[in-house]
Amino acid sequence: MTNQTSNKQLMKQVGLSKSIVRSNRRSKATSFLFVLPYLLLFGSFLFFPLIYGIYISFHDYNLLSKDHVFIGFENYIRIFTPDTALSSLFFEGLLKTFQFVIFSVPLLVIVGLGLALLLNSLPGKIRTFFRTVYFIPYAISVSVISIIFLWILDTNSGLLNNYLMQLGFDPVPWLTKQPFAWISLVLATVWWTIGFNMIIFINALNEVPEDMYEAASIDGASAWQKFYRITLPSIRPIMLFVVITSTIASFNVYGQPYLMTRGGPGDSTEVLLMGIVQQAFEQRELGSASAMAILMALIMIIVSVIQFKVSNATNKGGA
Amino acid sequence: MRQPVKKTLLILLAVVLAILFLIPLFWMVMTSFKNDFEAIAGGLNWFPKNFTFENYTYTLLSQSINVPIFKWMFNSLFVGIVGSGIIVTVDSMAAYGLARLDVPFKKYLFPLFISTLMIPFVITFLPLYMQFSNLGLLNTYMALIFPYTANAFGVFLLYQFFRGFPKELEEAARLDGANKWQIFIKVVVPSARPIMWTLAIFSFMTIYNDFLWPLVATNTPEMRTITTGIAIMQQGSFVSSYGKLMALTTIATIPIVIVFLIGQKQLIKGITQTGIK
Repeated sequence: MTNQTSNKQLMKQVGLSKSIVRSNRRSKATSFLFVLPYLLLFGSFLFFPLIYGIYISFHDYNLLSKDHVFIGFENYIRIFTPDTALSSLFFEGLLKTFQFVIFSVPLLVIVGLGLALLLNSLPGKIRTFFRTVYFIPYAISVSVISIIFLWILDTNSGLLNNYLMQLGFDPVPWLTKQPFAWISLVLATVWWTIGFNMIIFINALNEVPEDMYEAASIDGASAWQKFYRITLPSIRPIMLFVVITSTIASFNVYGQPYLMTRGGPGDSTEVLLMGIVQQAFEQRELGSASAMAILMALIMIIVSVIQFKVSNATNKGGA
Repeated sequence: MRQPVKKTLLILLAVVLAILFLIPLFWMVMTSFKNDFEAIAGGLNWFPKNFTFENYTYTLLSQSINVPIFKWMFNSLFVGIVGSGIIVTVDSMAAYGLARLDVPFKKYLFPLFISTLMIPFVITFLPLYMQFSNLGLLNTYMALIFPYTANAFGVFLLYQFFRGFPKELEEAARLDGANKWQIFIKVVVPSARPIMWTLAIFSFMTIYNDFLWPLVATNTPEMRTITTGIAIMQQGSFVSSYGKLMALTTIATIPIVIVFLIGQKQLIKGITQTGIK
């Protein structure tokens, strides 16, 4: 008798744990449905293209031909073989992209921080107004920005040269001579995107504890000392974030030189992304274009990692 | 004595900068009201001598030019709205699942998604082009929408929010017999509404203003978005008609500036929350 009941109990328990397993499985399945739609989109439009891009880069992939022959690392080797058309397209493009990064990133960071400091020193009510004004260009598309600046910077009838001529200066070939073409592209880019960095800096400045400034004031620190000793070290991580995101954005520059200078004068502003698009859609060589794109992405990732490491190292050294 | 002087100088600086920021937009709008002759002549007249709407009527209504501007506007708005709608729906489900539910393999899924935030668009846009081309889906709304929906940014943003969401609310609903979907729709989504709006506005602006992808994903005039359409016009029939170009850019800019001004607060919240926390 006792044996039978304990058996029954045992059977019940087994059944119970089976149903727990079953309900657990069902619960997991339901939960998985939450992630499934994104997982499908992620797989189809990010993960798959990533692999597909690597696959294409290992092939002689001309858009006009039906056969795409596997050639291993040949596309990459050609990029690294000096004096080939592909290699000069890649490395000259890369050089110009680097130039743009080097000209634009310091301004994007410093002007962004400057605007944030200025706004924070204004009385509260008008601060919001000016923040909106400085932020508006960020909402506008690159083609609109480019057309506005094309017109303002036009050599013969642009607004800027008209003013310069009235002041007795010669007209400046803003878009057709270097270094003015770079200056124009950087100017338009700063005007367009600076609001984003400014917002990030405003937030960072607001999170610096007020009592640190008060303590410094009691010690008789000047405004400059406060900025250098308190503000800068406190916003350091955000500064790194801004430097990295601005660098990535500047690496991806395309619309401004495509529309404002068309890569010119000569090919002095023909950045790497323009070279990749040209290789893919004018030469129709998708294989080598993909190899260029993958290398560009790798370079971007490496540069970000270096910026991160350098900043961390100097941070430790300073502390 | 020094403080007020300093304050006035700062305000003055802010005003000068504000003027510099607004001049290009002001010049755009004013040029759009000048006739071609006055626009080309350049000059320094801030206000048009002969105020005219002809650039607007010509760009919007003329039959003689092949500028489907209403179609472009529709395309941009449609793609922007549907795209951000999909992003907000799909990302909030995934982020909630990963943050709160017993999703299998979530230990691997979340890092996998997040690691792709490091991957630049340049690496996927050529294979994406081939993918849509192989399927015969270039020049479709699908091509203009889906690539944006794979971005992990929204999942990352919302995941952080759901991690900090108080568990008690979900518990109470569970005790009332609600299932996961009911909890998600009736309890979680209502309280996540602000952050979801942030993501929606962010996504809308990204899609509406994107340039390179719609440029390669479309090649028929009817499927262009407004940003790519403008670029085509600038290099084509409007090449030196700055009055008409400026009318076109003004029309294109109005909706996005309205979205921006309405959603500014949400947008700022989104930007600061993606900063290092």
